[in-house]
Amino acid sequence: MAYDKPLPNPDEQTQPFFDALQNHKLLLQYFPSADHYQFPFSDRCYKDWSTDWEWRESTGSGEVYSWVRMHQLYHPSWKAEIPYTLAVVQLDEGPRMNTNLVNVQADDIKVGMRVQVVFDDVTNEFTLPKFEPA
Amino acid sequence: MSDPIRGQTAICGLGITEMGKVYGHDASWFAGEAIRLAVEDAGLQKDDLDGLLINPGITGMMGTGISIPLQNYLGLRNLRLLNHMNSFGATASAMVHFAAMAVHHGMANYVACVFSDAPLQQGGSAGAAYGGAGRRGPTGMASLMPAFGFYGANTSYALAARRYMEQYGITNNDLGRVSVTQRRYAVDNPHATMRQPLTLEDYHNSRWIVDPFHLLDCCLVSNGAVCTIVTTAERAKDLPSSPAYIWGMGQGHPGNLPHAEVETYTTSGATIAGETAYNMAGVGPEDVDICEFYDCYTYTVLRTIEDYGLAKPGEAIGLYPDDPSDPEADLPLINTGGGQLSSYYMWGMTPISEGVIQARGSGGDRQVEQHDIVLCSGNGGTLDTHGTLILSPNAN
Repeated sequence: MAYDKPLPNPDEQTQPFFDALQNHKLLLQYFPSADHYQFPFSDRCYKDWSTDWEWRESTGSGEVYSWVRMHQLYHPSWKAEIPYTLAVVQLDEGPRMNTNLVNVQADDIKVGMRVQVVFDDVTNEFTLPKFEPA
Repeated sequence: MSDPIRGQTAICGLGITEMGKVYGHDASWFAGEAIRLAVEDAGLQKDDLDGLLINPGITGMMGTGISIPLQNYLGLRNLRLLNHMNSFGATASAMVHFAAMAVHHGMANYVACVFSDAPLQQGGSAGAAYGGAGRRGPTGMASLMPAFGFYGANTSYALAARRYMEQYGITNNDLGRVSVTQRRYAVDNPHATMRQPLTLEDYHNSRWIVDPFHLLDCCLVSNGAVCTIVTTAERAKDLPSSPAYIWGMGQGHPGNLPHAEVETYTTSGATIAGETAYNMAGVGPEDVDICEFYDCYTYTVLRTIEDYGLAKPGEAIGLYPDDPSDPEADLPLINTGGGQLSSYYMWGMTPISEGVIQARGSGGDRQVEQHDIVLCSGNGGTLDTHGTLILSPNAN
């Protein structure tokens, strides 16, 4: 069956991030002047307001900051998945990102659990960075 | 030491419209009703109003909310103060803060602070009213949110609650104790939408929205409006209504930076806002008689109790009885009208309206005997913004 869930909609600034996902790389913005990794995308460092940055590859390692099980259906394409697991993962580089936890039973999930990125090629055009127990 | 502004301003009028599934009217109509009722309650005339502060709810993000045109809709020709404000759930407190400072310094005499919303449509669900608002296909990294299946405020507050629950061993039954307590108060509140008593079993049987939240952990969605009129203590004394004097005001807005250096889910702006307001009022947590706390979710109440210093971290639930549906159980004096969970969801005006009612002693069957210091909170975003009001029936 064709993938019918909402897909990312990259803009010019975030296209490299989404392109890298297809190559199974997770990129973060790195602002050298504040030695700061930032996510999600911004054209300015919120620490020292610098606008000089570069993409750097993340280790994809982190821990579960929090997690929930979604039961409510907001979009019909999720019907077969409900309940599914949403999480906020705190990457070792510092930033936290919203994601899905996969390959784990809900009963086994704990805040602070170590996780690693896993790349889900949901369509030919898009790959989503999900996380599984490390 | 309290601040010289303590007790120098007051809420002299309160207007609360019919609440809930009230159809056939837009947000301007509800706002007009609430302002009319508040002016009448204060014993004022329309032309006395010389200030108008406006806070639209979710309809403000859908393009059908109240804004500056409300002035002309109501034919207000004497305004010396006018603004449309938004710091989400903290706005109601902020409107009263700015109104109080304005009247104290002579910029206006009687300022109407109004919240109005009408997101519910006949035949549509509350989830559709809120979850669908502003969903216009995000771009860039924001587009990852629907791609992962993140929707609505329910999800972000559930994430916050989970982190707190795992940190302190708080259970779903504990959240249920908050929900059932508030429903018991709503039974006695004629303005409340949900007045059927609840048991903990009802709580556990209510459907999951986003685990750890059941339906009964989440606030209502309401059509309606609330207006408060702010004036000086001196003017309030000459009016027929009983004033709720403003003793303390404070704000705290920590924001929500997603980074290891910032703890977001188990902190709120109440810590900073509360300290500012306590200092202004010259009171502390031990002096508070009644709390009216912003309760978009059960967790928000526990978070707020702790951040105002009314319980140690992780111990707010200790204020609640094991089984609040037991008629013998002593309920904490928190959200005495049922709150947003059971009475009505008017953003920050829900706690302020009940705070005014309690401070005035007009709570009927739910009136708390000792009501000298009433602490009201507003909270917006995901614990990002916060406003505090300390009200009293006493000028000093």
